[in-house]
Amino acid sequence: MSDKNREGLGYELGAETPDEAREFEAVAAELGLAAEPIAPPASLKADLFAKLASTPQLPPLDEPTPASVSPAPASVAPAPASVAPASVAPEPAPLAPAPVAPAEAPAAPESPVQLKSRSRWFSRPIAIAAAAAAAVVLFVGGTFLGSALSGGDSFQEQQASALAAINAAPDAQRATADVEGGGTATLVWSGQLGQSALVAKNLPSLPNDKTYELWYIRDGKATAAGTMMPGNAPATWRVLDGKMAAGDTVGVTVEPRGGSTQPTTNPIVAISS
Amino acid sequence: MDDAPTIDLDALLAQTATGDQAAFSTLYDQTASRVLGLIRRVMIDPAQSEEVTQEVFLEVWQSASRFDPNKGRALTWIMTMAHRRAIDRIRSAQASRNRDTAVGIRDLPTAYDQVSETVEVRIEHERVVAAMSKLSETQREAVSLAYYGGLSQSEVAERLGVPLGTAKTRLRDAMIRLRQELGVTG
Repeated sequence: MSDKNREGLGYELGAETPDEAREFEAVAAELGLAAEPIAPPASLKADLFAKLASTPQLPPLDEPTPASVSPAPASVAPAPASVAPASVAPEPAPLAPAPVAPAEAPAAPESPVQLKSRSRWFSRPIAIAAAAAAAVVLFVGGTFLGSALSGGDSFQEQQASALAAINAAPDAQRATADVEGGGTATLVWSGQLGQSALVAKNLPSLPNDKTYELWYIRDGKATAAGTMMPGNAPATWRVLDGKMAAGDTVGVTVEPRGGSTQPTTNPIVAISS
Repeated sequence: MDDAPTIDLDALLAQTATGDQAAFSTLYDQTASRVLGLIRRVMIDPAQSEEVTQEVFLEVWQSASRFDPNKGRALTWIMTMAHRRAIDRIRSAQASRNRDTAVGIRDLPTAYDQVSETVEVRIEHERVVAAMSKLSETQREAVSLAYYGGLSQSEVAERLGVPLGTAKTRLRDAMIRLRQELGVTG
């Protein structure tokens, strides 16, 4: 593979010609499998996955992939498509973290009508679409680890790192449910970490003055856990703000842009952990 | 491989190249015990072996797009990387002299707990062990020192107390036999 390898190992093993050296190296690669396997500790995988977000991948040698994400400025409402360069190819961009408004952004003031119409669905024993935790192929990833994330501790980088940690947790679990209006949502969580992430696929797009908001629902109370906007990627995800507790339900509502402090609409999906 | 693998490691590596952490997670689960097993065999020291194992998988993550399935299989690609990094590390770390006493003389105790791997990997392991068993004792010793120990031919000769030419012949004969047993065409 490397020059050093090509000139080294095969010859060290007694090869006399370049062809033979290459063959001996191929044999040597197989020899590695003769060693007895040793199961690595779970912490090794967790540490590894925590580093992925800050480990950019080398692009394929032939096709550069445009990054379609930039950090969402705190004072500006999410504008999913506008960050993509005009030259971006028309095909759907790979999965990218949703442009997100920070949780501490001021919530849009609620109109009296909104307040009045607020249905306290989360405080009632409602029929929650709790999906059985199935073996779901989690479609997280994509090329968002490229140039868009090169700048230090960006929000996206923290999100990606948090998601990787949840995925790598030994107790990670998943449940998937259909979303009202189209698409599916998968909740992935780790009780050990007290964290969860929602990965939504093919969510309906929203008008500019609306956003999806995530909630932790516990003991009949809903706690805001961040907002997300479906971008032009087929999948949208977000690691929820705050700590998850065992048995929490995660719900998603459509809220005015900027998010609300309490849900003002019925959930389009709710998943029990 | 003639045997149909239950999980296609090559495909997982290709998916990893697109940033797919779920695919990388499965790839890790299927190969990590092999990578750690080899590195531990080379390095002996458990803590350093785990460090290098993590480095190897970060390199797999980073350079997955450079894997060319036409030039070999994902498993051997990863194992080659693991071997190279382990040897590089022990060569650069002069402090690890103690490990020499163990190299090539004894196998590490097996630790099969929680090792999960594909049928493909397991069969491959058995194939290589079977091929190694076809070597003479002196050939196996020479290969172990050169491959697992990362020793040069003159170091192998010195360790075995034989002339350099003898060491080279043993290695070469052993590799030719292994090439035949494993059906490797390069």
